[in-house]
Amino acid sequence: MRNVGIIGVGYTPVFVSKRKDVSIPEMISEAVDAAFDNTGLTPQDIDAITFGNMHTFEGVNMPHLWGAEHIRSLGKPVMRIATGGTTGMSAFQAGYYHVASGLHDVVMIVTYEKHSEGDAQVGLMGIITPEVMAMLASGIDVTGGKGMGAIGGGSAGGISYQAMSYLNHAGAGIEHIDGIAAMERRNAAKNPYAHLKDPNATAETIAKTPLVSYPIRFGHICPTTDGATVCIIASEEKAKELADKVAWVWAVSNCASDATTGNLIEGLITDPAEQMPCIIAARQAYERAGIKDPKTEFDVIEIYNGFAHQTLMFLEKLGVCEVGEAHKLLEAGELERDGRFPTNASGGVVSTNAIGTSALNRVTECALQIMGKADKRQVPDAKIALSSGFGGCWWSDLLMYGEKKPM
Amino acid sequence: MDINVAVAGFNMTPCSSDLVTTRERMTFELSSGLFDDLGITRDDVGTYIIATNDFLDGRTISNVFLDAPVGAYMKDESKVEMDGLNALMYACMRIMTGQYETALVLAFGLTGYQVSPYLHIDYIMDPTYDRQVKLLNELSAAALQARCYLDKFGYSEELLDEIAAKDLSNAALDPYQLRQLSDISKEKVKGSDYLYEPLRELHCYPPTDGGIVVLLASGEKAKELTDKPVWIKGMGQSIDPYYIGDRDLSVSPSTTQAAKRAYDMAGITDPKGQVDVAEISSLFACQEPLLAEALGLLDQGRAADVYASGDTAIDGKLPINPSGGPLGAHPICATGLLRMAEAVRQLRGEAEKNQVAKAETAVVHGQDGVCAQQNVVVVLGT
Repeated sequence: MRNVGIIGVGYTPVFVSKRKDVSIPEMISEAVDAAFDNTGLTPQDIDAITFGNMHTFEGVNMPHLWGAEHIRSLGKPVMRIATGGTTGMSAFQAGYYHVASGLHDVVMIVTYEKHSEGDAQVGLMGIITPEVMAMLASGIDVTGGKGMGAIGGGSAGGISYQAMSYLNHAGAGIEHIDGIAAMERRNAAKNPYAHLKDPNATAETIAKTPLVSYPIRFGHICPTTDGATVCIIASEEKAKELADKVAWVWAVSNCASDATTGNLIEGLITDPAEQMPCIIAARQAYERAGIKDPKTEFDVIEIYNGFAHQTLMFLEKLGVCEVGEAHKLLEAGELERDGRFPTNASGGVVSTNAIGTSALNRVTECALQIMGKADKRQVPDAKIALSSGFGGCWWSDLLMYGEKKPM
Repeated sequence: MDINVAVAGFNMTPCSSDLVTTRERMTFELSSGLFDDLGITRDDVGTYIIATNDFLDGRTISNVFLDAPVGAYMKDESKVEMDGLNALMYACMRIMTGQYETALVLAFGLTGYQVSPYLHIDYIMDPTYDRQVKLLNELSAAALQARCYLDKFGYSEELLDEIAAKDLSNAALDPYQLRQLSDISKEKVKGSDYLYEPLRELHCYPPTDGGIVVLLASGEKAKELTDKPVWIKGMGQSIDPYYIGDRDLSVSPSTTQAAKRAYDMAGITDPKGQVDVAEISSLFACQEPLLAEALGLLDQGRAADVYASGDTAIDGKLPINPSGGPLGAHPICATGLLRMAEAVRQLRGEAEKNQVAKAETAVVHGQDGVCAQQNVVVVLGT
């Protein structure tokens, strides 16, 4: 397997609720141009492209076709990946395999979401509506336990079940979700590419936001964002030639679960806070990267957290700390940018969620940290980083990076 | 470049206009059937790639409920939302890295029972203009392409009848195809109604239900799993501009670019001489010679003579779509993989009534978008 390095990143100038000034392809091209500007590369340097977004949110099927010119892809291979929340990282992993397999040298990963063109909750309900319809058609009562899926299709309903279960396991309280949400809003204030920013957020101000579905408050929930992110990766030889600073990919891993077993069938309901795929993916990634002690080795961590409690939950699933320890680290300030476990220095998904980009932003933020290009959100001395993606049917994607080449 | 990945096996449904099944059940039957054929279990599969489309399935993240029935539960699975041949490429890359020995690819399309199979393409159309004006849809765009192609070389509409008659008579021999028309002839094709002039019903693909799973394996593993591995020799993909007004619809530059990549990897310098059989995703009769020209298998301007001479028939010099191609069945997303499966049957000598005389190297083509905007080419060999 060939070594792969991240050599460049491009964002749209802003990540906001509504970009009324640009169309979908125009918005994507802003991030593509930014990536070329930042790296000094031109479209001729790119051998292949992988592309990701969740197209049911905007109602345009296979938008890479519409954006063919805007992503400078004419005459090049383009592969479209879509896996729900994990899409950005799944597209990155597809790009990674393009290079690692030896087929291509320089690959650009393009992701976007323009939520203002559609309705994200309608899109999300589309996951489950056909199942509920099928249940109704076959005379199954969807109001009881078997109907869990009906609330699992939108976001907040199913996720509140997860949050409650997590708090019980971890011995944490709703105040800890307030606390982590406030930390991420403060971090977001230092990130020019974040959406919801509040430099003065505290657990108390978050606690004043209304409850949506206990224990989830409005302040714990991600926004719907318009934005695009581009990442350029290269083989070892090309990376050395094209870039001064490279974030090397140490390992990628992915593990899928199945929504059916998690949500729908009575008697088979698994705990949505269990997150077995994340545990398995972490084990594989650490093995591939030669990480012996995840509790000490990471300098930067970026976690996919559509909802604030997921930061704490996934830290435990990833083995960065023990079960029940994450909220204590939060209380001790260890998750802050200057703490022992700097987590989501970017503000996380909970502050910015253009779904197609969200998991890729975890990758690009870690890469910028390792390259030392994260400006105000820079974590000192970042050498090894870990990022996670989460989506669809409780599946997880993981990536690990280092300043040095993989062993 | 030595890819060293082979098709170890596949399992496909006979296509139908309504399979009367659920996606989950079909998926389970396809993958468990393949596992039984090969004598393996899901533990022997390293990674999974699924190719389905949310708009086609009418649901968001359409692979959400497929991981358990396909066997990907708690395994590495990803989704390529394109024609299945692209998913095959991705699976092949994953094996090429050495991280996995085997990869299973699943693709299906269930459009037989839908209100309109063309909705899938309608949602590709520009939402601001084309979708509002409603002049362009999959059929009208294909009709424009057909007209462009016929006029450019001065062919009559009878060329389309001839191509469709050849494909449909091949399809009638193939139990996997949906359209099983006995005693099909040029006259019968010409007797079908215009859908969009110059395209008649039998020049166009039928709305189809169908699915396929394919198991890829690295060199050593493939030889363990099967006596007849079929090797992936080359693969390539490329894309054309989006607006059909920006394109010359009588040619397909992206197919040519994709083919060049695949041929370079496979060491093919003279496609006409080196390729024994071609399976092309021509959704409309006009696309078959057009894409064959782009693949370097036909000379431009000679389609009328070549089809009249029978060179493209099963017993011809260069058989094109001996299976009947997508005019026989087109389960969107699975079509490229069905072409691959038909080519594998040819290369293994298992194509029965559709078998061509000599089959050592096959070219397989898949497409996405309006008028084949994006194309993928895979070269297979024994």
